[in-house]
Amino acid sequence: MAALTRDRFVALLQDELDLDVTAADLHLPLDALPDWDSVRTLTLFTALEKETSRELSLPELLEARSLQALYETVTR
Amino acid sequence: MSDQPVRILSAGTALPGPPLDTQALADRFGMDRLWRQWVDTFIGTRTRHLAIDLRTGRRRETLADLAAQAATEALEAAGLSAQDIDVLVLGTATPDALMPATVNTVAERLAIDGVPTFQLQSGCSGAVQAFDVATALLGSGRHRTALVLGGDVIAKHYDVTVDLRAVPPDELVNYLLFGDGAGAAILTTEDHPGAPEIRAVRTVLSGLDRPPGQILNWYGLADRSEPLTPASEDYKAIEELVPELAEEIAEELLEDLGWDRGDVSHLLPPQLSVTMTDRITRRLDFPLAKEISCVAETGNTGNALLFFQLQRLLDDTAAPWRALAVAIESSKWIKSGLALERSTTGGRPHP
Repeated sequence: MAALTRDRFVALLQDELDLDVTAADLHLPLDALPDWDSVRTLTLFTALEKETSRELSLPELLEARSLQALYETVTR
Repeated sequence: MSDQPVRILSAGTALPGPPLDTQALADRFGMDRLWRQWVDTFIGTRTRHLAIDLRTGRRRETLADLAAQAATEALEAAGLSAQDIDVLVLGTATPDALMPATVNTVAERLAIDGVPTFQLQSGCSGAVQAFDVATALLGSGRHRTALVLGGDVIAKHYDVTVDLRAVPPDELVNYLLFGDGAGAAILTTEDHPGAPEIRAVRTVLSGLDRPPGQILNWYGLADRSEPLTPASEDYKAIEELVPELAEEIAEELLEDLGWDRGDVSHLLPPQLSVTMTDRITRRLDFPLAKEISCVAETGNTGNALLFFQLQRLLDDTAAPWRALAVAIESSKWIKSGLALERSTTGGRPHP
């Protein structure tokens, strides 16, 4: 499985969550994103697990305060 | 309030099958630790019961099965027989069929006939609405003893073959929040020492210019292939509006009764999920009240919730007490509440 690229991460946000974001928005705080909510985090996290074939840790993911931080948590 | 005091004699409840923890759901749907952790963190419900076999998806119990079981338990607890009942009211969002009405199927199971029966198409305020109708019918003197019922069975919407990773968020929450169950209560105008009196019942439609927060569709032969979503929730609107409406109805009840917050010894808050119930209870702010909740063990059983809470309340035999229950229906938004009081003598607390 190839590493999750930033572009693929953005595509997942667009496709899985129907979020209107681009790579330029990754630095935004999560609560500043329109339509961001807790149920969408579940949809995104399960999609990220499927994409990376890794079991992710919810407590670590919930520490992320921006999409960029989330991306770094998933790819580190 | 009614002309004659109405008292609650007993409550009964029924849950189908064994308690299903989040691990059991995760196993069935092929979900992992992260998913379980998310449910624990954001929903908080530990167990729920379903009227289907989780392994096969086959339906096991009907709403009528559960409601009749709850009614039998309530009758036994009251020391009454089905023949003592002279009016029935049932609230549900998920009747077994549109016709015959489930209330009449339940009556038949209990061998009750020759009395009026009513069924309300209702959501999470349904139990309070049923209490409102029953209290009015009893208080008017037309009837003496009512069997009030509420329950829901979501089997029709619980597809055990679905890929939860592919379910949209507004449908996904239905798999996480809800459980099946039914409840019953016996209300009477007859004097029973120690039986709590219903001091106030209030149900208020609050949906003008507000889109529904929850939609359940039903299909027929002609429209069964139309692309309607069977069950969906605007959970963000629910998160925002339910606490607000809960606070409003609690204030209105207190004002009606002339009670202060400190007078309330037991609070029965709305039971959406553990996390939402905690948030609403903090906002309602009844500092001296003991919270009576059931959602952690039962899941959100819709029209049945209040009966599980009442059963726990009635088990508290320390007298006197004053209890306030709040329920919010989030489809077309109905705020509702109920106030009960048990005096030391069981007579009318404040003549």
